Amino acid sequence: MRKKAYLLMLLPALLLYSLFVAYPFFSSLGLSFYDWPGIGPKKFIGFGNYRNILTGFMAPEFFRAAWHNVIFFIWSLVLSVVPGLFFAFLLAAGIKGTKFLKVIYFFPNTLAIVIVGFLWGLLLNPQWGLVNQLFKAVGLGFLAKPWLGDTKLALPTIIVVTAWRGLGFYILVYLAAIIGIDREMTEAARIDGATEMQIAGRIILPHLMPIIATTSMLKFIWTFNIFDIVYAMEGTQGGPAGSTDVLGTLFYRIAFGGLGSSQVGMGLGATVVTLIFLIVFPVSVFYVFIIEKRVERGE
Amino acid sequence: MTRKLAILALMVCLISPLWAQSKPATVTIWGWRAQDVDVWKSVETALKGKGEQITIKYEVFPPTEYDSKLLVSLQGGVGPDLMYTRRLPGARTQALIDNGYITALDGLLNLSAFDPVSLSFIQANKKTWGVPFANQVVGIFYNKAIFDKFGLKEPQTWDEMVAIAETLSKNKVTPFFVAGKEAWTLAMQNAMIGVSYPGDAWIGKLAKGEAKFTDPEYVAMLKDLNALKKYFQKDFMANTTAEQDVSFAMEQVAMIFYGVWGNTNWLKTNPDLKFDFFPVPPKTKNVPAKIYTYMDGSYGLNSATKNKEAALKVLQFTASKAYGELFSKTTGEITAVKDVTMPASKPILVKCYDKMNTIASTNRYWVGSPFDAGMPSVYNILQEHMQSMYLDLITPEELAKKLQDGISTWFPAFKK
Repeated sequence: MRKKAYLLMLLPALLLYSLFVAYPFFSSLGLSFYDWPGIGPKKFIGFGNYRNILTGFMAPEFFRAAWHNVIFFIWSLVLSVVPGLFFAFLLAAGIKGTKFLKVIYFFPNTLAIVIVGFLWGLLLNPQWGLVNQLFKAVGLGFLAKPWLGDTKLALPTIIVVTAWRGLGFYILVYLAAIIGIDREMTEAARIDGATEMQIAGRIILPHLMPIIATTSMLKFIWTFNIFDIVYAMEGTQGGPAGSTDVLGTLFYRIAFGGLGSSQVGMGLGATVVTLIFLIVFPVSVFYVFIIEKRVERGE
Repeated sequence: MTRKLAILALMVCLISPLWAQSKPATVTIWGWRAQDVDVWKSVETALKGKGEQITIKYEVFPPTEYDSKLLVSLQGGVGPDLMYTRRLPGARTQALIDNGYITALDGLLNLSAFDPVSLSFIQANKKTWGVPFANQVVGIFYNKAIFDKFGLKEPQTWDEMVAIAETLSKNKVTPFFVAGKEAWTLAMQNAMIGVSYPGDAWIGKLAKGEAKFTDPEYVAMLKDLNALKKYFQKDFMANTTAEQDVSFAMEQVAMIFYGVWGNTNWLKTNPDLKFDFFPVPPKTKNVPAKIYTYMDGSYGLNSATKNKEAALKVLQFTASKAYGELFSKTTGEITAVKDVTMPASKPILVKCYDKMNTIASTNRYWVGSPFDAGMPSVYNILQEHMQSMYLDLITPEELAKKLQDGISTWFPAFKK
């Protein structure tokens, strides 16, 4: 009886999950085996879309985009975790104005991606943007660059902007974890003569490793689903010359056409989505596994 | 008796206008053009003035979402009575035709107000699937004040254009502003040059498979275009069309490669701006200068509409000279209706309309061309690789090869 009640209580969530997650996923998976422009009868082509994407005419674009996702993940992780930890340590030390700084750090996170893209687009304008103007004003004119128009700079620029926007989240998460560490341990270490650096390196950091691992996995999942910031700053083409193209923008171009394409390929687009899923899924499973273990250990 | 007849006649006179009026109806129209809201209000007023009790409900969707929204709605049987459709050849409108979601208009409407070229952009299977609404003209727009200041005249050849750029450059004026960050503008730039250099006739041969993108004349054009970049603004690959519009309107640049639709924005930013238009000049005078024109889109009739009679009345009005004049006056764009007098307050429209009717290219390889009907299209390839060429990542020869190889994978004339 009790079991049935539990199952009944699970039913609404299960229904919503089936409708909005499971059904679209399996529908998309099925679609990846068809040639379909989004209307009319679907033509079954087996693994044709997968061949086109992995070894056919789409392969160079697909692997280039996937590689950009990898670069995006590595650098945005470094630019989130390292400064995130640094500022979290500072805030945990109880310096003056901590509350105000928390608000300041978190503020970019509250901005919509489109606004972030628009604002940074203005700031980074090569002719009259504030960034280049500042460099020129302080005698560093050689650093004034076409940030979003150079194939070597565009992706790093977007990564930095993304890290800037998300930094507040990492600071708050790490700060919460630091505050959660038993103060007796750090105080005992101090009494034993440990320096602040030793306390940070040998007590606090090891305690933060699980949360760093968790945020890293989340970062991986988010990065492989990234679309909005690239779209806002470089459009669906992921320019210049495809140097910022990621799997999200590639999918959008294929599935919905966008400017400059009279062709759409929902089946081909669904294939890209399925491949993104195959990349992200193992990490997601591992992430859930780690979380379960931590819960079991009572962390 | 006479009195009775007089009363009867009076009653007939009073009632007859009511007979003439149609039943009230609401026609829903879906489109992606926000600038057309006032157009449809004016159409409703004009139709009501003719005694048609038709209310028009125009709904606008973002261009990037419009096609998906329309497809889903039509499949669900809840689409609008009339819908904006993209030009042909193109998979989106072709899918609407192939699946019977739009009706062929032959025999239902009088389309004599359009010339065959405009109609050809919305014809397939020897039928007409929409009423064209606008024609676009792309070419080079220039600042008249800057040209006058340095005694410059519209160039007749490519080399004359380069000489103008050189003069401007020496006088510290930016000759061209190019929105290189928006790859579609580079594809458009390439295409508008192509119709004059290597030229309309060469593109005609290309479409028949008698010429190739790797031919010396096309490669020469790419080389000249790549060499022209020294006259573009510094760091042009990081600039957008919004920045281009501001620069041109604020007279910070002499020339831009763009479309006539930009004129409204420029004049809104700077009402005193004096500008004009010339087609991209050919390499030599023995090749005629041409302009790239294309039909922007059309109004299609939903096959499942329950308001067919009223919807057809709206469509017939959009296929009239009166509508053409109303459209151009309201939007500042060139109507697809022929023999329309462009508003005198918009001299640029008058000139572009005249050029469109006299020197429009009959062949093309960008939008509205057979090269845009498959994947990868010329448009797709140019978008990415024009950027690569300008960034010196590939040579003009390599760009030509990428076009030839890419199109050869599906274009029938290249597969022979």
